[in-house]
Amino acid sequence: MDVFIQLLINGILLGSMYAIISVGLTLIFGIVRVVNFAHGEFLMVGMYGAYLLAAKFGLHPYVSAIPIVLLLFAFGALVQRFIIQPLLSAEEHIQIFATVGLSTALMNLALMIFGADLYSVPPSAVQHSINIGGFTLVIGQIVMFVCALALVAGLHLFMQSTPLGRAIRATAQNRNAALLMGVRVDRIYVIAFGLGAACVGLASALVMPLYPVTPTIGTYFVLTAFVVVVLGGMRSMYGAFFGAMIIGIVDSLSGYYIAPDLKEVVYFVIFILILIFKPTGLFGLGRGTE
Amino acid sequence: MVGRNSDIKLAISHLSGNLVICKVRGKVASERPLMSSAYGALLEEMMRKIARAALAAAMVLTAAPLAGLAPAAAQQSIKFGALYPFSGGLALLGDESFRGLEIAVEERNAAGGINGKTITLIKGDAVDPNQAVGEARRLTSVDNVSAIFGTYSSSLSLAATQVAELAGVPYFELGAVSDPITERGFKNVFRSNATAKDFSVRMVDSVSDAIAPALGKKPEELKIGIIYEDSLYGQTMSGYQKSRAAEKKLNVVEALAYSAKSVDLTPVILRLKSAGVDVVLQTSYQNDTVLFFRQMKDQGFKPKAVIGAGGGYSLRDTVAAVGAENMEGALDVDFTQYRTNPKAAPGIEQFVTKYKAKYGTDPRSGHSLANYMGAKVFFDAIAASKDLTADNIRAQVMKVDLPVGSTATGWGAKFSEQGQNTRALPFLMQWQGGELVTVFPEDAAVAKMKVGVGTN
Repeated sequence: MDVFIQLLINGILLGSMYAIISVGLTLIFGIVRVVNFAHGEFLMVGMYGAYLLAAKFGLHPYVSAIPIVLLLFAFGALVQRFIIQPLLSAEEHIQIFATVGLSTALMNLALMIFGADLYSVPPSAVQHSINIGGFTLVIGQIVMFVCALALVAGLHLFMQSTPLGRAIRATAQNRNAALLMGVRVDRIYVIAFGLGAACVGLASALVMPLYPVTPTIGTYFVLTAFVVVVLGGMRSMYGAFFGAMIIGIVDSLSGYYIAPDLKEVVYFVIFILILIFKPTGLFGLGRGTE
Repeated sequence: MVGRNSDIKLAISHLSGNLVICKVRGKVASERPLMSSAYGALLEEMMRKIARAALAAAMVLTAAPLAGLAPAAAQQSIKFGALYPFSGGLALLGDESFRGLEIAVEERNAAGGINGKTITLIKGDAVDPNQAVGEARRLTSVDNVSAIFGTYSSSLSLAATQVAELAGVPYFELGAVSDPITERGFKNVFRSNATAKDFSVRMVDSVSDAIAPALGKKPEELKIGIIYEDSLYGQTMSGYQKSRAAEKKLNVVEALAYSAKSVDLTPVILRLKSAGVDVVLQTSYQNDTVLFFRQMKDQGFKPKAVIGAGGGYSLRDTVAAVGAENMEGALDVDFTQYRTNPKAAPGIEQFVTKYKAKYGTDPRSGHSLANYMGAKVFFDAIAASKDLTADNIRAQVMKVDLPVGSTATGWGAKFSEQGQNTRALPFLMQWQGGELVTVFPEDAAVAKMKVGVGTN
């Protein structure tokens, strides 16, 4: 029983990491309607940023979260403006090629600059774990959990109660109608892509103390993030959050009770079953919500 | 536009010296009215010039190596191929391996070469198995080398050795560990270094020979957990470990595979913890090694010993990422490293001195030393052969008989019918105070083995 509860805790904490990485992907997918295959590399860029700030200025990754979020917002906005925007009216697979190309380019750029060595930030208190009632929780993961909740809540408030948020929602619901209502759709896309990238920037600052960065680190996370996004119903932030929790818990439990090398099998089977029986995802609004 | 495309086609067929030229030209003529003929002619002229220039360049490039070889052949020299990955992802350790060979060659040449003939190394850059095959073909058929030395990576070696075997050129493997390289019944492939099986056997034997005595327990009392990343590397190593453990009647309570790309190893760790594992044998790359040590600490798992094999365990980066205090006491089976007792590895100190003098840094890994040792052994065998035919070289390699502890790696040399060195036993090392020191066997040790891992 003790092990089960510990696994559950580990699963939820792991889920909060998947959540914080997936929220940005959901935003980009839900609003700009672009499948961003370079999402993992955005994470990698943010992590190298956090590493550099720690190495050059001695900043704790949590402190460098602020400049990194801003930096990735700008980076995301630029990618949208100069790579995705010109291809928006092109066919979907062209956009996919563009983001896959961007992903490969960023990975190789990192390989060129930093080499294949792994870099980590100096050890800090957040790597330690605390013991509550015989169960261990890593401090950095608790922070991630709290931040994931705060991020979803903050984005919810932003989307519901600001004019910009309303314009973003309008664009996501119907691009043409929003355009007719005077929303500058192109600009909204740039902002939304930037927001999505900023979310993953926050994630990278939180992940950095726990995982060393390498040029391919993004590929470790991104496949799971896609599963989470689809599981959550493609465009729903709350869906992504709960989807991430489910994947985290499944990951943890199946790794222990079945076999560590079969945990991917388990959650991909769940993934396929959901695609077959509820293609709009667990929290999707049903068919025809385009 | 159509006319222009045809012109380019024409130029391309010029370049490839294709017979299609006439046909394309005919088509061009018929399409010419679509564009200004003066412009077309100009373009055609330009393309022709480019083609001519390219042809000239190609001739110069192919002629250059031939010209370069002529004087070398005039002197009494003996040509060996050096086949390593010099570029691409494997380049760092490929180059490190080559340095060992290079130092061995310089040493030999300074002492008069092989029977008075100077050794000339001809490099072949093997980035991937395809290129390894191509470069091995070039070395054996164009450069006509007397033997090839290589290769660092097993997949490259597996591919290149096939070419050398067919060409009847001796192939000396100094660093790749995959067992099948010397299990295919090839006559002219020889390997000086330890194989994956040797590594696995040493890992398992360490439990009964080193760890159990240090704990004051019988080897059968210790619970062993074998964990491995689930690609070919981990599967191969763990397979040998399981069969060796069964042979020695050790108590393996868990054998778990995981993906090296996993971002969470807590299920693995909790399985080991629940099973009460005393000794963990891990076969891993770098990222998963870091993750395992970090999460082992988080989850409060305190095994009495953790043994890894090369890869992530030997690298200083890993220790930096995990924290030296958390990796304190981790055991590692690998090629001989530099903190080894020189009495058991005569020549290791001189090698380091020569290396520093030539390259200006400390050796970056044990690969150069292993290549140096192997090259020296094989040079002696070649020198003892009355000519450079493969059969005579093989006869001499089979006669090599060096006891353990007589080379710079501390290994001996005695080759099986399959060409495998049967006296290349890897040492057991341990991280102590941020340094990787040899702790077993005793005569090679520079420090006493500690029990326990990390701050636990």
